[in-house]
Amino acid sequence: MKTKQIVGIFDDEAKVVKALKTLKDQKVDIHDIYGPCADHDILKYLTKRTRIPHLAFFYGVMAIVLTFSFVYWVSVIDYPIRYGGKPLFSFPPMVVLMYLMTILTTATLSVFTLLARIKYYPGKAAKIIIPRVLDDQFAMLIQKPADADKVKAVLKESGAMEIREEDVE
Amino acid sequence: MIVNELKIPLVEGNKSYGQISDDLLANVERKPAKWWFAAMAVGTLMLAYGAWAVYQTIAVGLGTWGLTNAVGWGWDIINFVWWIGIGHAGTAFTIFFLVFRQKWAGSINRSAEAMTVFAVMCAGLFPVLHLGRPWLVFFILPYPNSREVWTNFNSPLFWDVLAISTYLLMSITLWYFGMIPDLATIRDRATNKVKKAIYGVLSMGWNGSMRVYSKYETVMKLLGGLAAPLVISVHTIVALDFAVSVLPGWHATILPPYFFVGAIFSGFAMVLTLMILMRKLFNLTEFVTGKHLENIAQVLKYGSLIIGLAYVTELFTAWYSGVNYEIHTFFNARATGTYAVGFWLMFAFNAVFPQFFWFKWARTNLVVLFIISVFINIGMWFERFIIIVSSLSQDFLPSSWTDYSPTLVDIGIYVGTFGLFFCGMLLFVRYIPIIAVNEVKPIARSERKKTQKTE
Repeated sequence: MKTKQIVGIFDDEAKVVKALKTLKDQKVDIHDIYGPCADHDILKYLTKRTRIPHLAFFYGVMAIVLTFSFVYWVSVIDYPIRYGGKPLFSFPPMVVLMYLMTILTTATLSVFTLLARIKYYPGKAAKIIIPRVLDDQFAMLIQKPADADKVKAVLKESGAMEIREEDVE
Repeated sequence: MIVNELKIPLVEGNKSYGQISDDLLANVERKPAKWWFAAMAVGTLMLAYGAWAVYQTIAVGLGTWGLTNAVGWGWDIINFVWWIGIGHAGTAFTIFFLVFRQKWAGSINRSAEAMTVFAVMCAGLFPVLHLGRPWLVFFILPYPNSREVWTNFNSPLFWDVLAISTYLLMSITLWYFGMIPDLATIRDRATNKVKKAIYGVLSMGWNGSMRVYSKYETVMKLLGGLAAPLVISVHTIVALDFAVSVLPGWHATILPPYFFVGAIFSGFAMVLTLMILMRKLFNLTEFVTGKHLENIAQVLKYGSLIIGLAYVTELFTAWYSGVNYEIHTFFNARATGTYAVGFWLMFAFNAVFPQFFWFKWARTNLVVLFIISVFINIGMWFERFIIIVSSLSQDFLPSSWTDYSPTLVDIGIYVGTFGLFFCGMLLFVRYIPIIAVNEVKPIARSERKKTQKTE
């Protein structure tokens, strides 16, 4: 669904941060900011913490349990074979396998979770707000509020190069 | 504006974001220089030699190698261990950057990761060929099969398969995900339609949204954190291939940490060699400054100390154990006997020469840095040669002692992996930004804040 947005275009992140500070004080909701790199001064105003690390922990636990069960099943139940008189169930080698499988599974599933969460996939057409947004410019998007003029004034005062209204999805 | 001249910034030249994009994307956006084509031709020739050697190995068999009854592991495993060691630097740099927040690693981790990916690919080739029947390589995978057997989960050789394939997958993931924002930048700046389409597919619709950046950064840090224990485990498991056997010189608890440090050491040396070349060839001296190279040299210095300590400890424990076989391997075969030249070259290149890095003139002199880094690469190869060949060629039974020398096929596979590595790196410097643009931009900005103040 397309909504009316106020788009402020900046050429310097310091100006973006200045505008953000004022807008946050006025309790204006920022839709999103686009820029060439992850800027922590901007990010701290903007984001909620993602819960992907919690999921990753769950993936890790799952990998440990599944690897243990599988190796135990193979070496004790399905195909019990003695190597050099050693016990069928020996734990130390399983530690290595559980260690590696935890890393492999957690990493792979976290990456897929991220892609699903941000809805990115190979070949997706990018929705670029302004052409130079990944080069050296920043764009701030604000859902058009009732007092749009006030927001625009803040953007202007902070040093936006251009302010326009656009229908953005 | 006040400039603090005492603080040396990590990105020189006081560049704006636009300039950084221009500088760092130049290698992708401009036509390659003549030397690039020449180097590519040399790489392809080496690759062709390697392809011939691989064909000989598969069509004729392992008899074409220099292996004997006693020396069952030769150049294949030496080069496998060597390449895996080289491959450790990239992930180490990524961990330095993502987990320890070492800003200087930000300019190096992209190319170090590329090196890792290609080095691990080269390494992976050797054990597969060493099977003798590489087309049956799937036997090592644990899947329900008509042969009704499972793999031996207690064997380090199986752990190796898992560790190295996990490592390769992880390195590729870190490398590729780290460059998605850069690929998107190339896509948006591209004027050529084909280029736009290819980089468009690869960049997954990246549009610079900060909300996405935030999640992406969290996951990248998570991957960095997961890669840290993985780096330690890979060479530890390679070391266990040796350490769990009963051969003198291999059967030692010191091997896993010693191999791990050796891997980081050789990887950093290779990064230093390549970085010195790349920063000159692509005008990146403002992004990979003398300070970066000096930092790598510092790591090498401490790596060298640990490696040297390990060499001496091995000799000491051999003597202290009082076991004749151990004493023979370390003192008669390695330090004074048949393999003395290799042993002392290894000792000098790995433990002695890097000690020059205690001096600032050595750390800041490009020629010295380059020569010592190449020495370390050679020294680390000798280390693997000494470990493998001296223990195998003179084992418990003197009647089966033999000499070892590689054949043209052995050499061909090694040269071929160099071809693969060079071609891979050349394609990398042609199509992907050598330095992570989106990571260097915030670093440049925070460095500017540190060194300059506007009134």
